[in-house]
Amino acid sequence: MTETRLQAQRIVKAFGNNPILRGVDVSLQKGEFGVLVGPSGCGKSTLLRIVAGLEEVSSGTIEIAGRDVTELPPKDRDIAMVFQSYALYPHLTVRENLAFGLTLRKTPPAEIAKRVTEASEMLGLEKLLERLPKQLSGGQRQRVAMGRAIVRRPKLFLFDEPLSNLDAALRAEVRVTIRNLHDRLDATTLYVTHDQVEAMTLGDKLWVLNGGKVEQTGAPLDVYARPRTLFVAAFLGSPKMNLVNVAVVHQGNSVLAEGQGVRTPIPSPRFGTLAKGMEATLGIRPHDVHIAGEGRELSCTLLVEFVEALGFEAYVHGKTLSDTGEGDAKLVVRLDAEHGRRVKVGEKVPLSFDPAHIHLFDKKTEIALDDKATE
Amino acid sequence: MIRALLLAAFAVLLVSLGAGCGEGPTKIVFWHAYRGDEEAALIKLTKDYEAEHKVTVELLSVPFDAYAAKLEAAVPHAHGPDAFIDAHERLGSHLQNKLVAPIGDALPEKDVASFEPVSMKAITIANVRYAVPLSEKCIALYLNEDLVPKTPRTIEELAALPVPKGSYPIVYEAGTPFYHAPFLSAFGAGMLTADGQFGMVGPGAEDSLRLVAGWQKNGLLPEEPSGALVKELFSTGKANAAISGPWLAGDLGSMKFRVEPLPLVGKTGQRMRPLLTVEGAFLTPGGSKREDVRAFVRYLGGKQASIVRATVGKQVVANKQAWEEPALQKDNVLLAFHAAAKDAEPMPTSTAMRATWVPAQEAIRKVLRGDAEPKAALEEARARFLDALKPPPPPPSPTPLFLVCGLVLAGLAFLMVKRVREPGFRAELRRGRGAYAYVLHAAAIVLLLVVLPLVVGALTSFFAGTRDQPQYVGLSNYTSILTARGGDLLGHGSFYLTLLVTVLWTICNIALHVGIGVLLGVLLSRQWLKLRAIYRVLLIIPWAVPNYVTSLAWKGMFHRQFGAINAILKALGAEPVSFFSHWSTAFAANVATNVWLGFPFMMVVTLGALTSIPKEVLEAAEVDGATRWQRFRHVTLPLLLPNMLPAVVLGTVWTFNMFNVVFLVSGGEPDGTTDILVSEAYRWAFTRNSQYGYAAAYAVIIMGLLFVMTRMLGRLTPKDVEKGEH
Ligand SMILES: Nc1ncnc2c1ncn2[C@@H]1O[C@H](COP(=O)(O)OP(=O)(O)OP(=O)(O)O)[C@@H](O)[C@H]1O
Ligand SMILES: [Mg+2]
Repeated sequence: MTETRLQAQRIVKAFGNNPILRGVDVSLQKGEFGVLVGPSGCGKSTLLRIVAGLEEVSSGTIEIAGRDVTELPPKDRDIAMVFQSYALYPHLTVRENLAFGLTLRKTPPAEIAKRVTEASEMLGLEKLLERLPKQLSGGQRQRVAMGRAIVRRPKLFLFDEPLSNLDAALRAEVRVTIRNLHDRLDATTLYVTHDQVEAMTLGDKLWVLNGGKVEQTGAPLDVYARPRTLFVAAFLGSPKMNLVNVAVVHQGNSVLAEGQGVRTPIPSPRFGTLAKGMEATLGIRPHDVHIAGEGRELSCTLLVEFVEALGFEAYVHGKTLSDTGEGDAKLVVRLDAEHGRRVKVGEKVPLSFDPAHIHLFDKKTEIALDDKATE
Repeated sequence: MIRALLLAAFAVLLVSLGAGCGEGPTKIVFWHAYRGDEEAALIKLTKDYEAEHKVTVELLSVPFDAYAAKLEAAVPHAHGPDAFIDAHERLGSHLQNKLVAPIGDALPEKDVASFEPVSMKAITIANVRYAVPLSEKCIALYLNEDLVPKTPRTIEELAALPVPKGSYPIVYEAGTPFYHAPFLSAFGAGMLTADGQFGMVGPGAEDSLRLVAGWQKNGLLPEEPSGALVKELFSTGKANAAISGPWLAGDLGSMKFRVEPLPLVGKTGQRMRPLLTVEGAFLTPGGSKREDVRAFVRYLGGKQASIVRATVGKQVVANKQAWEEPALQKDNVLLAFHAAAKDAEPMPTSTAMRATWVPAQEAIRKVLRGDAEPKAALEEARARFLDALKPPPPPPSPTPLFLVCGLVLAGLAFLMVKRVREPGFRAELRRGRGAYAYVLHAAAIVLLLVVLPLVVGALTSFFAGTRDQPQYVGLSNYTSILTARGGDLLGHGSFYLTLLVTVLWTICNIALHVGIGVLLGVLLSRQWLKLRAIYRVLLIIPWAVPNYVTSLAWKGMFHRQFGAINAILKALGAEPVSFFSHWSTAFAANVATNVWLGFPFMMVVTLGALTSIPKEVLEAAEVDGATRWQRFRHVTLPLLLPNMLPAVVLGTVWTFNMFNVVFLVSGGEPDGTTDILVSEAYRWAFTRNSQYGYAAAYAVIIMGLLFVMTRMLGRLTPKDVEKGEH
């Protein structure tokens, strides 16, 4: 049974004369986990706050569980929000923090006690219930903030970068907790982040926001695999996708992309017919580049400038050697540990681009030339 | 560096010594408290004298309020004047403090006859003359020429003249003993008896009060009349007659009026004799030894100088010969006051006189309000007079004091020795030398300006009697205060009653300050409020105005007949309220004034404290379902109040000691019941026979109370609440 939990349509928001959101659509089915990503200042928090009711829309409508809430204050929207700074009530104990919303709604004490116990067990807060927020570590505070949302059993959970104040190890741990909780509670969640891993792993649905508009939406892996625009391609993935300015060259039956010292075949069925001489940006992710030879065709030669050895793999930074004078392109290449160890700075390494994972973007519109991505 | 400083100091010393003895006895230092015409006349006389004789006269005009204090401070150390002008009633106190010497040949026997006898009487004590009488000041009857063409024979007839509604047959400061004194005299009583006892007792004094209370009851007198009100009513033709001094004439402009001596009281057939103040030129002990000083003083009282003082200075001069001058014979006002003075009663010079004013005033006002029968009120006044003059207890043995001081000193010495003996102390001292150099001057200043006065004040509280003859009384000031002077523990003026009032006063004020301040602060912090900056400035204004100005303005607004508040009540159809006749309304008037003065501070503190509450916490509450009120009640307020605690402590101390408002608005009315501890302490020091030691004991107790209170309030800080978390 699917039921639309959140439907935000044509959301426009301006602060004074400064347009922040320019017609954004976001919708979630019950039980879905939606993630909003985008560069800093693109309006993610603003969108979330609009959904929460903390900010008014300039135009557009918001429905939560089939009810138009555009004009309603936060308290009537049946949502819960976890803030980046946690925003715990400093003068209340953990227990009181958890119970605050329920107490305001005159929930019977027995029910409150039950839900607080439940939530604190879920989050491992049992021993901390009588402490004040300042007596907690950052991770504990984060869990209290989540607990405060959980006990309310809202129609919609909103998270605004809830993990950004935690260290890397804890972040990985809590990330898993959040997703597990979401599934256990059969919750509907809208989650804002600018962390690549969170964006990829947490959500069922991803929106990439840029300049006040949704650049692309879809399942995270789909978006990652088939970025519709150059911006999305460059934004998602770490390290970033390599970009090379190329022109289309026809050579016999095959079509090649050539430029900045790169010359690599383009699998024609995927891109359809590309006009000769057409200018484009070629994108290839670091892990889709391999060392040439052993049946892999040479795409370019890399002058190694720097090697990041991470143990199980290595990132090799360098530039292409170009003889045509368009200048060289910077590239990052992922190699397995074995190969990575052998590469030395100043060495010239022959590389091959995996044709199946080549992305091409129109030079002017920056839209993908990939048929499937453009559909 | 240090040598240069020493040299400079030495040079300054030399110069000042040179200035001190170089010019020698040709310079006369002369003090006065005159202003305006009187000062102009004195300056003219001095110039003339300097031109004629080869002397310099250095005139110094000292503000009236500080006059006595300055004299007392300067004369005994020979820094003061050689001679000075003062009112004769201070003579008793000046003698006690050895500020004056007999007048000697500045007023030779042969000249005595040329002065008004009454003024001679005023400056004479035990057949010794102490001043050259210069001028006489007393009150008289002003009559509106148009309304009262013919002077009635008695005051009763004057009071019975018909007047239109809103007008009065007679206006004067009825609640002030100085103005009631003429009535007393007509009934054969006085403020003080010849042997220095409270004179306002007995059937005569009671009848005098009955007479004016009857007028008040029948609406013949305006209510709560002040000098300003008397002037206003008389000058606008709303009063047939006024009883006032020469100062009123200057404010009447072109109005047609005449001045006459006070009339008879019909009931006794006796004339009303006002209190007379004779201003005389006094010689200090140093000045009296100098021929040139005596000559100058003699000149001031002489015929020619008197004519100048009368014509230029508008003084009612005490020299009879001057009045033969034709120019003086034309000035009717001056003549009238001269006539009035002939019949007046010189103010007693005894120091006991000062202790009569407050009890007498309280009694008169009580009777005028109809709160007490004259007999009871006067008996009570006499008891208060006696209480104020109660001689200090016999000096106890000072041994306990020495013992305690000795023990404290020994303890300090022990601690010091212990500290010095500690290993490493010297090294530490050496290391800290630089730091000590930095704080040394600050420490010295604090010691000088804060600690020392505090210690001196505390020591004063072990003494009774005047400043020059302090008498060690041990802790008896304290026991006397704490046992309510042997009276009822919650009786009139008892420490505990005053404390109760003070505590109530503080609580009411702080509650309202914080309540209103927080409310306005929160309102002003709201984004949607337009013109916030303007409101903020407007609301801070009450704080920026000096509090005594505000207090006086509010006192005027609370006036029974002419105040703005009663005007509003009247417009609303309510009965006017005599704010200062009932404890509750007088107290409320004080509180209202002080709330007006105090809320802006709390508002500003609130505005500051609000910024320390993270916005997201409020938003979290909003998402959690809190209404605007719930957010305020459950989040803003609990986070705000701990931050306001320091301000509340400060405000508590200020309010607890808010002398100006209490003193200026209600002035303790009715009957001293709205006084707080500090204003009570003030009364002991300045209106009850200068009992500085007693007042100092009050001050020490107040300090102790505040100390304890501050500590208690400090305990309240919830240690576990913090401003925000990040
Ligand atoms: N109250 C406000 N008034 C005016 N401008 C605002 C306001 N709140 C946000 N903005 C602007 O709106 C833009 C979007 O802000 P928003 O907080 O939504 O960005 P964000 O995507 O959450 O960025 P980040 O990743 O840094 O949190 C920013 O340029 C910001 O300056
Ligand atoms: Mg944000």
